[in-house]
Amino acid sequence: MRASAASAATSRARLGRFRIDRELVAIGVLGGLLSGLLGVGGGIVMVPLLVIWARYGQRDAHAASLGAIIPISIAGIATYGVAGHIDVRAAAALIVGSVVGARLGAGFLARIDERHLKMVFGVFLIGVAALMGIRG
Amino acid sequence: MSGTTLYVALVAFGVLAGVASGLLGVGGGTLIVPFLTLAAGLSQHNAEATSLLVILPTAIAGTLTLRRRGVGDPALALRFGVVGAIGAVGGALLALALPAGALRIVFAVFVGLVGLRLIYDGRRAEARAG
Repeated sequence: MRASAASAATSRARLGRFRIDRELVAIGVLGGLLSGLLGVGGGIVMVPLLVIWARYGQRDAHAASLGAIIPISIAGIATYGVAGHIDVRAAAALIVGSVVGARLGAGFLARIDERHLKMVFGVFLIGVAALMGIRG
Repeated sequence: MSGTTLYVALVAFGVLAGVASGLLGVGGGTLIVPFLTLAAGLSQHNAEATSLLVILPTAIAGTLTLRRRGVGDPALALRFGVVGAIGAVGGALLALALPAGALRIVFAVFVGLVGLRLIYDGRRAEARAG
């Protein structure tokens, strides 16, 4: 917990002079572009870019990505909602579970060792790559 | 699957997707879309739209928990997300003009390599720490 608080303070200090850092703008546009282009969630693109390019701590990168997904999904819903493709009953059932799950998962994110987080995310990415390779 | 079984499965899968979303900072669409097409029989388009509706409250719930725990900077994350949303609209427009199949393969390779690098970095850091 202490390590995460320290790294959060570092990223805020670095961003203090700008309302938003130039790297974040570039990563936001690129992450959004790829996610819109390929139909994958922005997080899969944004988290690695935040870590490798913007030098975010692993935990802060995941937290920033999760918050960023809020406006991104609103834009997505506005686009699709107009077309009226949403299965509301299936969505409601999933939401009942996922809101509980998200609180659990975010609790894990606050506690997990960053090295383990890196590895768990690495395994997740390879799984996604395999899935996309098969479907592609 | 049909009826009650389907809804129980949807709630249970929702918990799983939610944990992945909160822990990994992803939306969870990568998990939800295949599940909706395979288990609930939705078309790819309907599954993608439905998954977007699920992602929003999931990301809000996870972000509220992180804010309570003092992890990250939610206000900055939201500004970052607005930039991302502009990019996403551009990407969706581009997708209509480009060969998606080829792009998916390139992207799958990219994501796989990033995954390997993260595992390598994590293991190296662990070895250093002893």
